[in-house]
Amino acid sequence: MIEAQGLTKRYGTKTAVDGISFTVQPGKVTGFLGPNGAGKSTTMRMIVGLDRPTAGSVTVNGRPYAQHRSPLTEVGALLEAKAVHTGRSAKNHLRALAATHGIGDKRVNEVIDMTGLHDVAKRRVGGFSLGMGQRLGIAVALLGDPRTLILDEPVNGLDPEGVLWVRNLVKYLASEGRTVFLSSHLMSEMALTADHLVVIGRGRIITDGPVDQVISAATRATVKVRSPQATQLAQLLAAPDVTITSDEPGLLQVHGATAEAVGEVAAAGRIVLHELTPVTGSLEEAYMSLTQDAVEYHSAAVPDAPHAEAAAPTHEENAR
Amino acid sequence: MSTTTVAPTRAEVSRPTSKHKLSFGHLLKSEWIKFWSVRSTVWTLSITAVALIGMTLLLTLAMVNAPADAGAPTNPLDAFGLNVYLGPLAVAVLGALSITGEYTTGMIRSSLTAEPRRTPVLWAKALVVLVVVFVVAAASIAVAALLQAAIFGGDGMTVDATDTDTLRALAGYALYIAMIGLLSFALGALMRHSAAAIATVLGVLLILPILFSAIPWEPLHDIMPFLPNVAGAQITQTDEQIELMRQGNDDVVLSAWEGFGVLSAYVVVLLGAAAVLLKKRDA
Repeated sequence: MIEAQGLTKRYGTKTAVDGISFTVQPGKVTGFLGPNGAGKSTTMRMIVGLDRPTAGSVTVNGRPYAQHRSPLTEVGALLEAKAVHTGRSAKNHLRALAATHGIGDKRVNEVIDMTGLHDVAKRRVGGFSLGMGQRLGIAVALLGDPRTLILDEPVNGLDPEGVLWVRNLVKYLASEGRTVFLSSHLMSEMALTADHLVVIGRGRIITDGPVDQVISAATRATVKVRSPQATQLAQLLAAPDVTITSDEPGLLQVHGATAEAVGEVAAAGRIVLHELTPVTGSLEEAYMSLTQDAVEYHSAAVPDAPHAEAAAPTHEENAR
Repeated sequence: MSTTTVAPTRAEVSRPTSKHKLSFGHLLKSEWIKFWSVRSTVWTLSITAVALIGMTLLLTLAMVNAPADAGAPTNPLDAFGLNVYLGPLAVAVLGALSITGEYTTGMIRSSLTAEPRRTPVLWAKALVVLVVVFVVAAASIAVAALLQAAIFGGDGMTVDATDTDTLRALAGYALYIAMIGLLSFALGALMRHSAAAIATVLGVLLILPILFSAIPWEPLHDIMPFLPNVAGAQITQTDEQIELMRQGNDDVVLSAWEGFGVLSAYVVVLLGAAAVLLKKRDA
């Protein structure tokens, strides 16, 4: 359980985190989303006491992190993969951190095997690939068999097998009743992994809720209709709250009407349908529409590239 | 999004109060592992040992072969003199690197996550540096004295190991070198940057004494005996030698323990400042 209240961090005049409050519940995977520079890492660093909050407070399992008698068994954190002395071997790195809590070599070897580091454990960390560094970071987080895990971009740099492993691992740990708080920029991965989302932008919470609720609140349902009489159907469907767009002849994207309604209108008008598909929004769409005003570093638009799905809302507004 | 996660929020993992506890003893063990698992430790300590033993024997050889009427020193303890300058150099690098290495690599964030109260990490590290450097320096000086006696004993070059004053002076080399290592460590903890810390400590050890004696300005001259290494090196001299220094010298000549006290005071102040900043700064 992580509880933040009015958590604020200012660096000089720049406010990185602006009075945020949220709770990360045990027993589920909570995703932490936000654009670059939104304050995710700063928030995670404040949870484990690496950064001192300018105002507000955050507790883990009921206490500020620094007040725990055995912090590593309360919280396992992967904040940046390379928080490791490059001249030390992976195994010695783990042994040194384990030693602070009197954790023995048996557990060290366990986490080495769990994270697939066995063959490189004696090598110096300086020569590790991004993925290996990431696995080592996860091994450190697991060292104390902690009740709460905080993972910043855990799948960054991992191969597909590693990504799958992390997904299953965090779900399993959450199913054991542990608290799992993780950030990622991979929306598809987050959609598969998280049960609950906290979305942050420009240092403030944009939304906080179960994944499906976040998606349905932030995207509009669309119905895909394919018909040889598409033009006719579009005329029949026309209503003030219904928007219809078309990317190719005979194919309509209907926003603002349910698949049932479209089917009934078509039947009443004796219109042949070849396809009628309700399309729910994706997490990526939801994320893009939630954070479009909060993005700190905009990328320049790519000319003539096919419009990303996320661009759709603005597209429709023009069409209206 | 998976729909199978209906698992009700189970009671948080209950566990018997964990047998794993953070403690200062555990931190010492951790710092011990860290200290010995990077290459710079063995390198700098080996260089220190070789320098201490080698310089002592070389100087003894020179003294033995000097013409009797050249007025060369004949006290076997004088052969250890250069160790004041050469002994602490590699140790200064070791002291600084043992903490700045954590900052430049990001390791410090792992260390401070494991011990979020932070300052115990600093104390544990300082203790490991101090003790290991002292033991290595003491052993090297002992070996140097034994080899000196074994090789040049026939020429009267044997330190009198039964004389407490002589023993204090010899042990003084180890104390002095260990304390310089700690001075360097404290500067490293304050500056958090390897090159800056090493440059500073070498500047203090090598350049400051030269500047202070070369610039003909009285206040500098008066401060000179209180420079960290000038004061600290007094502990490597026998009371007899210090008495000789005082003769025909108007300047302040600190006693062995006064001098070592001054060096220690620098270290305490710097370490204290480092501890305060470690608590305050974001890692």
